Amino acid sequence: MLSYVGRRLALAVGTVLAAVVISFLLVHATPGSPGAVVLGPSGTAAQIAAKNHELGWDRPLVVQFADYLGHLIRGDLGTSLIDGRSIAGDLGARLPVTASIAVLATLLSGVLGVVLGVTAAVRGGVLARVIGTGSGIALSLPAFWVGILFVYVLALQLGLLPATGYVPFTENPVGWLGSLLLPVLALTVGGAAIIARTAAAGMRDALAQEHIRTLRALGTPTWRIRYIHALRFASVPVVSVLGIQFIGLFGGSVIIENLFALPGLGQASQAAVSAHDFPALIGVVVVATVVVVVTNLLLDLVVAALDPKVRTA
Amino acid sequence: MSVLPLDVADEVATEPAQPSRRRRPPGFLQRPGGLLGAVWLVLVVIASFTAPLWRPYGVATQDLAHRLALPSAAHLLGTDPLGRDLLSRLATAGAEPLLASAVTVLVAFGIGLPLALIAAERGPRVERVLSRTTEVFLALPLIIILLAVIGVIGSRTYVVMAVLGVLISAAVYRIMLGVAQSVRQRLYVDAARVNGLGSLRVNLVHVLPSMATVAAVQAAQLFGIGLLINAGLSFLGFGPAEPQPSWGLMIQDASAHVYDDPWLMVPSGLVLSLTVVAANELVDAIAGRTTKGRVRTRTRPVARVAAVDRGGRASAALEVRGLTVAVDGGPTLVSGVSFRVQPGRVLGLVGESGCGKTMTARSLLGLLPEGVSVAGGAILWQGRDLAGLSERELNAVRGREIAMISQEPMVALDPMFSIAYQLVRPLRRFRSIGRGEARRVAAELLSQVGIVDPERVLRSYPHQLSGGMAQRVAIALALTGRPKLLVADEPTTALDVTVQAEILSLLRGLVQEIDLAVVIVSHDLGVVADICDDVAVMYAGEVVESGTAAAVLDDAAHPYTMALLRANPHVAEGHAVPVRLASIAGTVPAPGSWPAGCRFAGRCRFASDACRVPFVPLPAHGGGSVLCIRAEDLARENATWERERAGAEVGAEVRA
Repeated sequence: MLSYVGRRLALAVGTVLAAVVISFLLVHATPGSPGAVVLGPSGTAAQIAAKNHELGWDRPLVVQFADYLGHLIRGDLGTSLIDGRSIAGDLGARLPVTASIAVLATLLSGVLGVVLGVTAAVRGGVLARVIGTGSGIALSLPAFWVGILFVYVLALQLGLLPATGYVPFTENPVGWLGSLLLPVLALTVGGAAIIARTAAAGMRDALAQEHIRTLRALGTPTWRIRYIHALRFASVPVVSVLGIQFIGLFGGSVIIENLFALPGLGQASQAAVSAHDFPALIGVVVVATVVVVVTNLLLDLVVAALDPKVRTA
Repeated sequence: MSVLPLDVADEVATEPAQPSRRRRPPGFLQRPGGLLGAVWLVLVVIASFTAPLWRPYGVATQDLAHRLALPSAAHLLGTDPLGRDLLSRLATAGAEPLLASAVTVLVAFGIGLPLALIAAERGPRVERVLSRTTEVFLALPLIIILLAVIGVIGSRTYVVMAVLGVLISAAVYRIMLGVAQSVRQRLYVDAARVNGLGSLRVNLVHVLPSMATVAAVQAAQLFGIGLLINAGLSFLGFGPAEPQPSWGLMIQDASAHVYDDPWLMVPSGLVLSLTVVAANELVDAIAGRTTKGRVRTRTRPVARVAAVDRGGRASAALEVRGLTVAVDGGPTLVSGVSFRVQPGRVLGLVGESGCGKTMTARSLLGLLPEGVSVAGGAILWQGRDLAGLSERELNAVRGREIAMISQEPMVALDPMFSIAYQLVRPLRRFRSIGRGEARRVAAELLSQVGIVDPERVLRSYPHQLSGGMAQRVAIALALTGRPKLLVADEPTTALDVTVQAEILSLLRGLVQEIDLAVVIVSHDLGVVADICDDVAVMYAGEVVESGTAAAVLDDAAHPYTMALLRANPHVAEGHAVPVRLASIAGTVPAPGSWPAGCRFAGRCRFASDACRVPFVPLPAHGGGSVLCIRAEDLARENATWERERAGAEVGAEVRA
């Protein structure tokens, strides 16, 4: 157990470090400089050089990297080149929106996907074929297009949900949920489809295991074989895929926020990209990686709780 | 202990032989999804790359009088907010995402595939470093990193998609490594290396071709992912700039007009979606995945035996009469098998792989594989015919009256639950006792099967047990319902030689202690000699000889039994080990191709013309039988099955 957690922790730290290194190199090892960004096209070479010097950009790369890491550990992501605001503060305020969407979409995908996948594996026949074909199509649909369909049907035609806008949780929890539901549903279509496939395959695999025959030979009730024994066996791959899904859904929520005009990380990163706001770009990558990595660590613990082979290793 | 030179598995292949392939289109095109997917992709590619030649309007041609128009003869798919023709823009927009996704796929494979080959070839150290690195890459939020890339270098689609290829090559590496490792483990790759083929040639000739299917699946899947990400980025405005059309930007346009022109979302969204669906359908078709689910278990059609007479020996606990097991709508696997087992006695079912032993054993509990069922005969158990019972009625018999232990103890226990849980659950159900009491009984059962430290084993999980220990636990599990009959399918085959003897003596002890009846399936005459009171030798789905173990082993009447005995490497003390064990030339005929007469005739050295016609079993060994028309002749001649001379006989292939 300890060595497993240690390994996963090392991977998590390694991933965050890799994200910092990659984004840092990306910004520093390519043409373009913050001075040029701040001063715009009107800045002269001398002005740009002076600005870069002021920002410490002309120091050796290693020094700058160590400096950045030092601040990062204290939770300081630097300030925006555009408006001088604290990046950590700005992203901190936006993170709950994006994280809520990604977490809710992952949970909903998990529940729906498992129900559909297990149904397909257990019932078989036409139902399994429908679920199989349906999920094959659903996982191919772009979430931002599904989002528009949902806006049209659920918000405009049926008037069930608000089309755009965000209500903070602290203001009105019900309104908060309502404002997130459409983006969450849009992301869930593909997410649930992938989980359904994983769950169906896992469940079929589980039901074909030798130990299931042992249970049958003992006259174990069918529901217990399916929903206690086979499901537990199938849950390990499902949770692992859920972790991969979260990474995808987090990226997906950045895109879908644009559609629903939600004040999340997506808006911030879009603004940072358009303005070439280098520190903000690194900040977004770092924050997103930390969230994704922490979530996967939690899911690793779930896997350990489910699978004694992992726990007792 | 000894093992016949035979395969362990006694499964009968239930799949019909593959018809010979003759100039057919590749498999994935024969599936509707694959065919439709391929056709759509080809159409989209052609339409996209030839768009400048046929598009009705220029991509920037505005028709301000017809803004947001619905489909019409002039504009087949309608127009956008600036009155530009949707069909022209949609077709023109296709080339870039298609090419860019291809770039992603090429880059991902260009990096991932060589790395996988290197890792597979260079061994664990290189593999570990590479695999750790790719794990990190797989845990990164791709889209956000791509956005950062765009923030630094600008919206240069092909470069951005190449970066995506670099990041995603980790996934290619992971999957290809798995394939490469399994290919390399196959013997012929080693053989090729021994024969002096260089590593590059080994990879080119042997490893890469075996990867083709998986690689095609991966490529199609990545292509779909590439299309989605590319469209997502251009949806955010990081794709081609206006007035150049892009699928993502057209969907962005549609989202702004969902109030006044919902039609706008249809053409662009549908083309993008269908293209990704097509790629994924190809994935499924190439991978040979069908969406077909599990076939529902049918109630088994059973030819009932008219009026079960309870005569015969009243003491028989189990009597199988004329049992026939067949693939539904397919060949017969077991035909006309009869035997009886009495309390406190052990019956051995012996024979080579594919003789129907396991099918016979499994039919006793109604646990035949899907698509296989009892087609005739009776399984009489305490006056009831088990072959005619419903699943629910059988469930009441399973565990309580008849229990089973299987071939592979290491996989027979549920890996996810502790031994305590697995024993306590059935104990509570079978004996209607509380948790504490059940745990106490569980510990008792474990001691009874010879486990010295029951408390520690109860706390353990299956993977923490040795094979012999796991088999003891499996036996304890089988005893939870206090069964009267134990069906043991090759219970010692997977175990070490010393452990085999321990398990057999444990079974022997249980038979005496609790008057258990046992049916033991084995291909090993040593096991039979050790533990069985009676024996039924099976060949090609029927019993060819039966009787008490002593009589059959000492005085085999059927040539097949003689051959098995000759092939048995048991050597009495003091005798020299024979230079070469006798083997039986040829193989067991497959179900569905059994001859009309003696099924062994094709491999029998005593066969004559008389053997080609059907005949009935003759009484032998007291209460037993022998299914050989020449049995009496052979007995008179004192015939023995001699060792085969090397190179002699009908191209006798010596099975190792």
